[in-house]
Amino acid sequence: MDMMIKQKIKQVKKGDQAAFEDVVSFYQNKVYQICYRMLGNTHEAEDIAQEAFIRAYVNIHTFDERRKFSTWLYRIATNLSIDRIRKKKPDYFLDAEVKGTDGLDMYSQLPAEQALPEEEVESLELQSYIQQEIMALPPKYRGVIALRYLDELSLLEISEILDIPMGTVKTRIHRGREALRKRLRHV
Amino acid sequence: MLVNCDKEIVRLMHEYLDGHLAKTEENKLRSHLQSCEACQKHFHELKRTVAMLKSSSDIQAPVNFTANVMEGLPQEKKRVGYMR
Repeated sequence: MDMMIKQKIKQVKKGDQAAFEDVVSFYQNKVYQICYRMLGNTHEAEDIAQEAFIRAYVNIHTFDERRKFSTWLYRIATNLSIDRIRKKKPDYFLDAEVKGTDGLDMYSQLPAEQALPEEEVESLELQSYIQQEIMALPPKYRGVIALRYLDELSLLEISEILDIPMGTVKTRIHRGREALRKRLRHV
Repeated sequence: MLVNCDKEIVRLMHEYLDGHLAKTEENKLRSHLQSCEACQKHFHELKRTVAMLKSSSDIQAPVNFTANVMEGLPQEKKRVGYMR
């Protein structure tokens, strides 16, 4: 797979536009998912994901072939998504809900028996509910959560994609997961 | 209850979920969970959250996505061998 992509990138760099089609086809779901997780809207996700591939194509000569192509591509996609979120004016008030670890002892309403998540998530309704809860997180947490559960990317890879230190990635994943735990607890 | 044990134990839970927990710390987490019901619940909820995120992570790009991207590319590179 990696070899195939490497080969295709070489061809694209030489000006073979058709080779890029295989690259897009290979990564389209991943890139779209990153954008959707961050933007929460199918039209915007499609728009930004397309833009990410076009940017990648136009700037392909700046891609260092010794590095991992997906890291570079995902970085373009996350940066474009963040730009779009900034333009939309995010809901800053939601930050307050995430910070701090209060409320950890509110277990009273937890149902005694819980169905298996796999079964639950089969319903599309729950899928969009989960996305809705992700959207309630501040964008910086959304990004790391999206990447962490996109291909089980390692924290190191996420730190490279987002260009932030490992420690920051760790903190954001921990906090993001805590916030989602609270939100999804009663589902 | 959780008030006393939370910070360090919750940190261990997250380290565990990211696969970064050393063996000694894992033992520490395990023995704590055996004795603390509140942390057990917390850990269960976290693992459940992760399972939900994973099982809902199969989002597909719309049909014709690749074709649309290809249509949106600038034209000048179409000829093989041309470099800017």
